[in-house]
Order: sequence, then C-alpha cells, then structure tokens
Amino acid sequence: MLLFILKRLLALIPLLLAISVLVFLILHFGNNDPAMAYLRLSHIPPTDLALEAARESLGLNRPLSVQYLDWLGKAVRLDFGMSYVTGKPVLERLLYYLPNTLYLAGFSLMITIFLSLPLGIISALRKDRWPDHLTRAMAFVGVSTPSFWLGFLLVFFFSVKLGWLPALGKGGITHVLMPAFTLSLMSMCINTRLIRASMLEQMNSRSVLYARVRGIHEKRIVGSHILKNAMIPVVTAIGMHIGEMLGGAVVVEIIFAWPGVGRYAVSAIYNRDFPVMQCFILMMTLIFVFCNLGVDILYAWLDPRIRYREGGKA
Amino acid sequence: MKNRIISTIAALLTITISLFLPVIVQAVPKTLVYSWSGNVGPLNPHLYSPNQMFAQSMVYESLVRYGSDGQVIPWLAESWEVSADGCDYLFHLRKGVFFSDGTPFDALAVKKNHDAVLANAKRHTWLGLIDKIKETKVIDTYTVKLVLTEPYYPLLYDMSLARPMRYLSPSALPKSGNSADDIKAPIGTGPWTLAESRLGEYDLFKRNDRYWGKKPAIDRILVKVIPDHNTRAMAFATGEVDLIYGEDQISLDTFDRFKNDPRYTTAISPPMATRALAINSKRGPTRELAVRQAIQHAVNKEAIVKGIFLNTEIKADTLFWPNKPYCDLDLPPYEYNPGKSEQILEQAGWQKTHGPFRTKDKKNLTVDLCFTGNNALEKTVAEVLQADLKNVGIQANLIGEEADSLSRRQKGGNFNLIFNGTWGSPYDPHAYCSSMRVPSHADYQAQSGLSMKEEIDRKIGLTLSSTDQEKRHLLYREILSTLHNQAVYLPISYTTEILVHGKKIHNVSFGPTLHEIPFATMSIQ
Repeated sequence: MLLFILKRLLALIPLLLAISVLVFLILHFGNNDPAMAYLRLSHIPPTDLALEAARESLGLNRPLSVQYLDWLGKAVRLDFGMSYVTGKPVLERLLYYLPNTLYLAGFSLMITIFLSLPLGIISALRKDRWPDHLTRAMAFVGVSTPSFWLGFLLVFFFSVKLGWLPALGKGGITHVLMPAFTLSLMSMCINTRLIRASMLEQMNSRSVLYARVRGIHEKRIVGSHILKNAMIPVVTAIGMHIGEMLGGAVVVEIIFAWPGVGRYAVSAIYNRDFPVMQCFILMMTLIFVFCNLGVDILYAWLDPRIRYREGGKA
Repeated sequence: MKNRIISTIAALLTITISLFLPVIVQAVPKTLVYSWSGNVGPLNPHLYSPNQMFAQSMVYESLVRYGSDGQVIPWLAESWEVSADGCDYLFHLRKGVFFSDGTPFDALAVKKNHDAVLANAKRHTWLGLIDKIKETKVIDTYTVKLVLTEPYYPLLYDMSLARPMRYLSPSALPKSGNSADDIKAPIGTGPWTLAESRLGEYDLFKRNDRYWGKKPAIDRILVKVIPDHNTRAMAFATGEVDLIYGEDQISLDTFDRFKNDPRYTTAISPPMATRALAINSKRGPTRELAVRQAIQHAVNKEAIVKGIFLNTEIKADTLFWPNKPYCDLDLPPYEYNPGKSEQILEQAGWQKTHGPFRTKDKKNLTVDLCFTGNNALEKTVAEVLQADLKNVGIQANLIGEEADSLSRRQKGGNFNLIFNGTWGSPYDPHAYCSSMRVPSHADYQAQSGLSMKEEIDRKIGLTLSSTDQEKRHLLYREILSTLHNQAVYLPISYTTEILVHGKKIHNVSFGPTLHEIPFATMSIQ
C-alpha cells in the first residue's frame, strides 16, 4: 500500500511539470496581453510608450524560454512570482483565499453525503413507491437546475422575501447555508440516484440471496451486505464530486460574494494575471490528484479484492 | 429567600443596563454601506490598478478641484498665479491642513510628492502635464512654484485628477522617496482614512477627525466586495447595502425596477462622457465623406436611448456634451432621416441593383462594426445599428471581440466603425483631443484619412500651449467643427451615473467627475 502511494506521488512530478509547460504556452501564445489588460484596468490609454513601460515593469519583454525557466526556478522553491495586478506574492494570496473555498466545498460535501445517503437508501428500499417517485422527481429537477439561477432564487426567497438568511458574504453558519446548498444540489441528486441504483444491484446479488437463506436478519443484510458493497461506486463518485464542487464554487462564490479562491482566479483570468492563473491551475491539479489518491486508498479499504491484488503484485 | 436573590439580581441588571445604555447607543457608529466589484487596493495615490480611483479620491486631495460647471476651484491651494509666459505657476497653499497622521501639509510635502511622481514618469506618459514639469520649487512654507518647460493650459485640469498628482504624507513615503516602490501607509489629507481591508470581503473607511474642511456627517463607510450586478441588487433589496452609485453598478432594468419602487430614491446624473463610435476615414467605403454622412442620418438614436438605455442616457448629437468647457458650439445635428441618408448614397453612386444592399463599381457597401464581445450593451447597440444601416442599404458585419483584441484593432485602424467613447470629465475635451494625435488611438486611425489631419493635430498642439483663452475658444471651434463636418464620429448618447438609496440616507448628490463619490456630504439617520 505504501509503495502504491509513493508511486502515485512520484508520478505527480512529471504531471505537474507537463501541466506547467502547457499552461505557460497556452497563456503566452493565446490572444492575451497582460500589459494591455493592465493599462485597461488602470484607465491609461494604450500608447506604444505606455505599453512598453508596462511590459518592462511586468517582465514581459524577455524571451519566453527565459520567462519560463525563471518562473520554474522560483516555483520549485514555492515562489510563484508576483501578481501583475497587485504586485504581491501569488501563493500568499491564493493560500489566503483557499481555506474559504475548502470550507464551502467541505460543507457542501457534508450536505451531499448526509442528504443523499438516506434519500438513496429509502428510494431503493421503497422502489417504485411514493418515496422513490419523490426522490426521482427531485433528482430530475435538481440536476437540471443551473447553480446561478438556483442561487438567486434562494436569495430572493430566504433573504429578500423572508429575511431569514444573509444574502452574501462570509460570516457565521447562516452565511454558508445557501451557497453550500446551491453548490451541493447537483452532486446530491446524482449521488442519490447512484446509491439507489447501486443498492438495487446489490439487492439482487447472490450474496444477499444466500444471506437471506442463512436466515440473517433483514436489518443486517441491508447494513453490512448491501450498503457496504453499494458504497464502492459511490466513493468514486464522491471523489469526482469534490472536483466538481471546487470547480462549481467559482459560480457560487461570485453569486454569494464569497471570498474564495475561485472568484480570485476568475478575476485573474479577466485581468490576464498570468502568475495567478498558473499557480491556481497547479494548485487545483494538486488537489485533484490528492482527492483521487484518497479515493483509491478508501477504495482499497472498502474492497478487500483490490487490497489482495495490490498485495499479490507486491 | 430565592425570590429575593432573583429580584436583587434583576434590579442590579436593570441598573447596569440603564447605566450603559446611553453609552451603547452612542457607541454605534453611523455607517453607510456601499459596494464595489473588488477591494480598493493599497491606496497608493501615485499609482494605478489595483488602486481604485473613487477610494483614492476619498483619502487624498489635490491642489485644485474640478467643479461641477467645468471650472477649476481652489482646494489645497487657496489661490495661484500664472506668469505671463504661462511657464510658472505659483500656488499659495491652504494653512492649517494636516495629514491624518498629524504631519502638516506644506510646500515641502508638495515638492516631495511631485518628485515621487516624476521619479516614476514613465508610467505617467499618458498625462500631458508630466513631461511639461521642469521642477517644483519651495518658495516658503506655504508657497510652491511649479516650473514648466513650455506653456500648457490644461495644467490645472491635470492637477485635479484622481491620480497621480495627489498628496501622501511625507512620513508615509519610503526611504527612497519613490512612492512606486511602496508606501508605508495610505495617509492623506482627505475626509476619510482607510481603517481596515479584508481581502475579498470589505474595506472600511473612517472619518478623518483632522480634516480641514467640513467634517463628514457619517462616521464610517463600509465598502463590501460584490462582483456581480444581480448580487448587488439583491444585497440592496435586503438592506445589506445602503447605496448604489456609479456607472456600472446594476443593470438598467434593475434600475428601472427600483425607480418605480416607492421605498427608494433614485437619480440620474448629468452627462459624464460620450458613448460614440469612430468611423474610419482611411479604410473601405467609409473613406467617402458621403458614406460617413449617410451613416449619421441612418441611425435612430432616440430609439436606442429609449429602448436600450431605458432613458437613463441622453441622446448625443456632438462628440462632446455642449456643457463641457469650450464645447458649446451650436453645431447642426445630423438628424435621423433615412430618406436623406439614401439620397446621399444615391448621389454618391451607391445604387441598389439587386438585394437589400447597395453597390458601386461592383463593390458592396459593407462595413465592419467592431465591439467588445462580452459587453451586452455594446452588442445590443451594434445590432440596432446593423438594422438601421441595412434600412438604407449598408451591410454591417458585426465583429465582437474581447477587450484586448479590440484595443489592438483600434491601434491598427482595422475597422470601419468601432466603439470609442470619450473619457468624461475632467479629461474632456483637452486630454481627449490631445490623444487624437497619438497613433495608437482609434481617433487617430479614424481621422488619418482626412486631408486636413495634419492641420487638426497642429491646431490641437496650439490649443494646449495657448495662454490666450479667446484663441483657445477659436481653435477648439475649428477643430471640433471640422471633426463634426467630416463625420468621423457617430455619437450615440451621453453616458450618466445612476444612484439608488433608501429613505434613511440624505443629501446624496453626484460628484463632478466619474471618479469621485461625494460621501463626505451625505448623511444617514
């Protein structure tokens, strides 16, 4: 198992390197000019002289290879350069905003898990009866609802009309409820359906049939025979939902004025703030890879067959 | 016994609360909540983005100010004298002015700030004033002399801008004296001080109790970070934001909704800048004066103002609003008249042989109309223009691009019509006209096909260095009339700012320029 983790971590190095080159090339060969963007933001007319001065102060007048190597040399020492817009260290800013996004995504994940589990189980156990129809309808609507629309709808209802919840910003637990629900609805609906399908599949398996034959109590069958086995695909899906939430957080952060890293990255894209974009993409790659690694480990723990295979190879 | 203990405690509590109540009531500061799309930045008075102009104007002041009627009014300088040759400006500073940290504002502070700005002159080349300043001399504690290399009439206008000619406390300058390196703290003489900044959340301003002028009635201004228009509108509706003020704060239909809501007060400012398109006199069919004039007559501006801007903007007939300095010229407007437009095109040889569009010498009457792709308003206006032009037989290709590409197109002159608004007060008309001489501007490219382009540029130069106001009036008349008659601009509307607030806020008015919000005169119940 340790070897497996180590191998995965080592594979991360060429991956990050490849991504950094790719991102660098895409940014610099695209139709983007940070100097022009800087002047636009500063309300300075883009005369040739002003552009030249801006390029010089942003270090964009050097050859591309020099720019990349310079950036890489610093990046391995965790110095991701200065933002073109603020002139402050990029990593510092991203790490400042990151916890807010993780908090939001974490809270959403909790909502997803705690709501989808009972809903999925009930709809599987009461298949084709009213609880199943209800969750099916809910899942249908939930998956089809775009988050920006749902967000505004919630704000309109709970903040403007009822005055129960604050419309925006970060603060106590009341502040996180609406953004987290908005962010989690789609994953929650997908997850509910997945749990239902996976449970139904297990219910028809032979192990369950034999367990019944052995006269094991129905509660135990559902708990340890069906549910545990049904969880394996769900764990994979949750790993992907984390990625979805970190990505989806961008929209939700803008709607709810949530001071997260996604919103910061979007403003960086708009401002052509290359150092921020590079660091953000690498940071997200790292988070994704670690999430997947976590899922794989959990997988091995849940499914002994995987563990034995790995063990056999080693 | 138990009852007695309870009643004693209750009595003690009541006394304590009643003792502290007045303190508690007094201690709640009067706070006005405003919102902006990002944080206001480190508030370096001499630098640009990410410093936000409205916030720089709250903390820092200038020697002179741009008044609402376009006149320059005394501010940190009580008076000034200009030498006969227009090269020396002697400023008499206001006495008894202190920076918010207690440092006195005097001639030396002015000199140190000017020197800091000039040390970074490369970043300020866009501003005419910067390369005209030879030196700043301290005459005595409250007198300072600005020596120029050549006369420059808009000097006082340039001095009134939100940046870079504003004054930071010398105690906050870094050791190098160059504010471009960094500043120690944002300390100015203005009515507000920056008390706290939380990234991505808010910036908090407090009243400057050392302020020399009338002190603000509000204790604190809280500026929340809200990037989205709809979120801002929702936050306003829930009372989490008190004031909506500015150019691009909420969508126009939201403004329309608030306008009809009796709980709110709304207002629209006088014209600030001009929403216009530049028409290229050097490329394609728009090289012909007749085509440019026909475009002018073909566009129904009234319908655009009513249908798209919901009457929040004002129909524009000339490049600058007539109330701007030197711009009241009584130029005859090109009225909306598709018949006349078609007649002009017919006379110029553009015929409708088959199909809806005209041709001449087997060439189609087709123009490229360029706009910022993600700007919904520009896109809608462009679509209406396309329909209006089709009406008279001109085919318009709509080209929507992102802002950077559009800037490149402007620089290269690669357009027939392109959105190119004026900069508004206090830049109009002098700074805007000055920029017409610079090839990277759409204006230069649009005018470059005119036979009298050299003459126009020469006259702009003469105007800026002229010390005789009568002569300037005459020169501006010649320049602006020529541009109007040559139809190289298609003015659509004069842009405005809007404001919305609830009934508890009073005395809200518009600032004379786009970059200042007069928080200091507002009051709150």
